[in-house]
Amino acid sequence: MSVVVGNILIVIALGFIICGVYGLFRFRHFYPRILIASKVDTVGFITLMAGIMVKSGFNFFTLKVLIIVGFFVLTNPLITHSVARSAYKSGYPLPEDDA
Amino acid sequence: MVLWVLVILGSASTLRAILGPTVWDRILGLNLLSSKIVMIIVVFAFLLEKSYLLDIALIYALFGFVGVVMIARFVEKRGRL
Repeated sequence: MSVVVGNILIVIALGFIICGVYGLFRFRHFYPRILIASKVDTVGFITLMAGIMVKSGFNFFTLKVLIIVGFFVLTNPLITHSVARSAYKSGYPLPEDDA
Repeated sequence: MVLWVLVILGSASTLRAILGPTVWDRILGLNLLSSKIVMIIVVFAFLLEKSYLLDIALIYALFGFVGVVMIARFVEKRGRL
């Protein structure tokens, strides 16, 4: 039962990540691109790790995967904020209309 | 199967990093490639049932964070850290 639930979660996660990489090539401007890519990629990472934790069961492996998920959730918004702040402070123009 | 899909998506992120028009597009592609590599290492560790491979994933995520933030600050301050 847990293997089936884990496989379903992993397939959903791959769908999220494919949507993120598609948005990386779909949008023509930088700010919509970084918004879509960062958010969808973080959600895909959390869902993929949840699938692996459900498949693995309750042991030492699950605890280490949980530490990696906590670190990634803590640092990925900081990376996105840093890159977007760097682009805005350097004078990269905002888009006039919706991309 | 999952590994092949992740490798193809990482190649697409590398393509964005190669042909991005500005330097911030390249930094974004590098960040996405780094997260894909962490996912690949964790799936590989689960398939091999080796717990010590997760340490490599944690250290890779740590150095990726420090590197990307430092590159972004370097570009923002125009070469003066």
